[in-house]
Amino acid sequence: MFAFIVRRLWQMIPTMLGVMLLVFVLFNWVGGDPTFILEGKRLTPEMLANIRVQLGLDKSLPEQFLLFVKQVLTYDFGNSWATQQSVAGTLANRVGPSLTLAGSLLVLELLTALPIAVAVAYFRGTLTDRLVTMICTVAMSVSSLVYIIVGQYQLAFAMDLFPVMGWDDGSLATNLLVYLPLPLLLGILVALAPSVRFYRSFVVEELNHDYVRTARAKGLSEPRVLFKHVLRNALIPVVTNITMSLPFLMLGSMLLERFFGIPGMGNELLNAVDKSDFPVIKAITITIATAAMVFNLLADVLYKWIDPRVQLK
Amino acid sequence: MTHLKWLPMLALGGSLALSAHAADSNKVLRVSISAPETGFDPGKVNDVYSIGVIENIFEPLLKYDYLARPLKIKPNTVEAMPEISPDGTVYTVRVKPGIYFADDPVFKGKKRELTAADYAYSFKRYADPVVNSPVSNMMTDWIVGLEEAGKRASKRGKFDYDSPIPGIQVLDRYTLRLTLKKPNYIFNYTLAAKQFGAVSREVIEAYRKDTMSHPVGTGPFMLKEWKQGNKIVLAANPNYRKVVFDGEPGDNPEDQKIAKALAGKTLPVVGRVEIRVIEEEQPRWLSFLNRQLDWVVLPKSAVKTALHINEAGETELSPALVKRGIQHSRTQALDVTYAYFNMLDPVVGGYSKDKIALRRAIALAYPVQKEVIPLYYANQAVPMKGFVTQGMPGSSPGFNGQMPYDPALGNALLDQFGYKIGPDGYRTLPDGKPLQIIQATQPSALDKILNQIWQKAFDSLHIRVQFKVAKWNENLKSAYAHKLQMWSLGGTASMPDGDDSMVELWSKSIESGSNLPAFSRPEFDRAFEASRLLPVGPEREAKFEQMNRVVAAYQPVVLGVTRMYNELTQPYVIGFKRHPISSIGGFWRYVDVNRN
Repeated sequence: MFAFIVRRLWQMIPTMLGVMLLVFVLFNWVGGDPTFILEGKRLTPEMLANIRVQLGLDKSLPEQFLLFVKQVLTYDFGNSWATQQSVAGTLANRVGPSLTLAGSLLVLELLTALPIAVAVAYFRGTLTDRLVTMICTVAMSVSSLVYIIVGQYQLAFAMDLFPVMGWDDGSLATNLLVYLPLPLLLGILVALAPSVRFYRSFVVEELNHDYVRTARAKGLSEPRVLFKHVLRNALIPVVTNITMSLPFLMLGSMLLERFFGIPGMGNELLNAVDKSDFPVIKAITITIATAAMVFNLLADVLYKWIDPRVQLK
Repeated sequence: MTHLKWLPMLALGGSLALSAHAADSNKVLRVSISAPETGFDPGKVNDVYSIGVIENIFEPLLKYDYLARPLKIKPNTVEAMPEISPDGTVYTVRVKPGIYFADDPVFKGKKRELTAADYAYSFKRYADPVVNSPVSNMMTDWIVGLEEAGKRASKRGKFDYDSPIPGIQVLDRYTLRLTLKKPNYIFNYTLAAKQFGAVSREVIEAYRKDTMSHPVGTGPFMLKEWKQGNKIVLAANPNYRKVVFDGEPGDNPEDQKIAKALAGKTLPVVGRVEIRVIEEEQPRWLSFLNRQLDWVVLPKSAVKTALHINEAGETELSPALVKRGIQHSRTQALDVTYAYFNMLDPVVGGYSKDKIALRRAIALAYPVQKEVIPLYYANQAVPMKGFVTQGMPGSSPGFNGQMPYDPALGNALLDQFGYKIGPDGYRTLPDGKPLQIIQATQPSALDKILNQIWQKAFDSLHIRVQFKVAKWNENLKSAYAHKLQMWSLGGTASMPDGDDSMVELWSKSIESGSNLPAFSRPEFDRAFEASRLLPVGPEREAKFEQMNRVVAAYQPVVLGVTRMYNELTQPYVIGFKRHPISSIGGFWRYVDVNRN
């Protein structure tokens, strides 16, 4: 196990270099010149030259890439080009709201989707199963933007059940009890259908295995068969799904953040892309890439814990 | 809340003619902005949202009267309007004694008075390459020695703030003299511009790397809280001198009502302004309807439900909102929108008759009144008549350079100048080569609407058009290099004068970057340069009319529209009026919020 982890950590280095190269090439190829956003329409050649020097854009591309590598190694991405604020400080401020929103969403979605998936899998082939599957298909075909726009209008404005939007920097309780219920409700509505269908397919597959019939023949109760045996064996794809989602928790949900005024990373990334704010884009991309690799490794370790038959190679 | 701890110091200072006051901290004004701000260093920002905040923290020498129309400039931090030499090159002002900066640890507990030297330092910053101000040319183009000081700093790598600049002289503690390279009778507009408020050198040097988040000024508010891109909170500045509302309403009964409501009130009236960044239209609009916001710029998506046209053809608020007591303000923005042709381009550029005919035909096929205003601007715009916003000095009343919508005439013009329609149904150039216009555009949904309008216009002329989509900054970069053939854009005036937009068509602006069409006509340049030597008046107006006629004759641009602001306020907001030059923050110090 230890050797496996060390080997996987070692393999992250070339992967990270690849990510850095890709981000750098993409930004320089299609990212847009930030100087024309920062200075606006009445830009003189002197202003252009000054700002390029200040941003380090006057250096050669290899030099700029080496600087990028150094920033990744020291995890110091300097200041935002757009706001001149420290990138680290900005992201530190943003990660909390994103994790609050997306973390709550992940937990609630799992606690809702998994029992529904198990239940409909258990009643597979019945009218209930077909009805739930059909509802999920319809729900998946509606854009998440529609849920958000309609939900915000109807539930917050027309019915006045929630505030339209808001965020309290000083109180987690206020956010969880006042401002987050509606975005969470809409987030669950958006995520529930695909998750239910995804989990159901694995539970159904497990229910068809011989060991289930054996367990029932042994006289085990149905809940015990379902939740102790079937669910445990169906957990591997669930763990994969969750661990793959974890790195993106930091990004929160861009649309939910934007519509509900949640000061998270998703919104920050959108604005950074809009303004060609490369330091922020670099920092977020590298953070997400690192997190993805770490959680990928964590998933492999969890497989072994869930199912001892899994061989780590 | 009165800050008693300062009273001994104030007594020692002894120069305060009027004591500072405390605004009502229970009164909170809640507004929203539709895009993230960047920061609050007046030398470094150029986005309207940051400027809206800056306007309330820093103070320029002069200010615009809140109510006076036509716009009127008044003394702000100075005792009287500047003394201007007869030749229009020397401006002398005397800063009022007893104006203090907001407290900051940099001042080590002492009161820091505003002096002429603060303005001298602030103006010098506009030439500093490190500051790299987007509005530097408003100072460096005019003040003697400032541009040269900037160039020296570029070579040395450091701006020397202590070496004298001939055009900026501090005569004594409170007196500042500015000497201009050329006569400029409208330099008061620059001295009243929102970005030219005074900063303190100690603060700028102390927070050198982070001046964007440490705004310390003498204005009515100070920055209390800032979460970039999400929330800004301003609190009344306890050191702000006593300023009593002195707006001068004209004959407009609405303005007189505002003047009556605010008469005798000390500014700022509210103790706190909370600014939320809400980028999406729906939450912004719903927040206003749910009274989470006190003021909102009516989003385009809500125009149809919130406004209607009455029997007299006037735009007014829908009965449902009137019933709720919502107040509506509709004012014309001081902006210009246009599509320009690259005059250096071999297809659409040039000054020969056939090229002018092509550009004019395109202008004739562009349905400003018929489609652009209703579809793109939701009927909240008026057609431009010249390259200067109507109603401003230089707008040439009586002149109309907006082409009528007449594609048939456009086609006739193209036929006459040899743009033949080929077997494929599209026109060729007079030399028989294929004619294709490449129009730059952006990827937004709104841009797609405009592209569809343009597509129909070109189709009506049998001209093949291709839309080249890129991000706005990339298009600007290409425009700056004169690589685009055609592009639609706009701009808001930074001063209520035609000079602000006409300068973009002056041939000398090609080199400095702002003349994107690369338009260059000696007759235009002569009229423009002559206008700069004249005081506002009939003679100057005649020069602007000449310029407008030259623009109409050569058609380097297709004139678009001037937008209308529709702003709504809650029933309990007293005294709101949009000032065309002030930013979105222009009313914050004036309005009263009486939720009771």
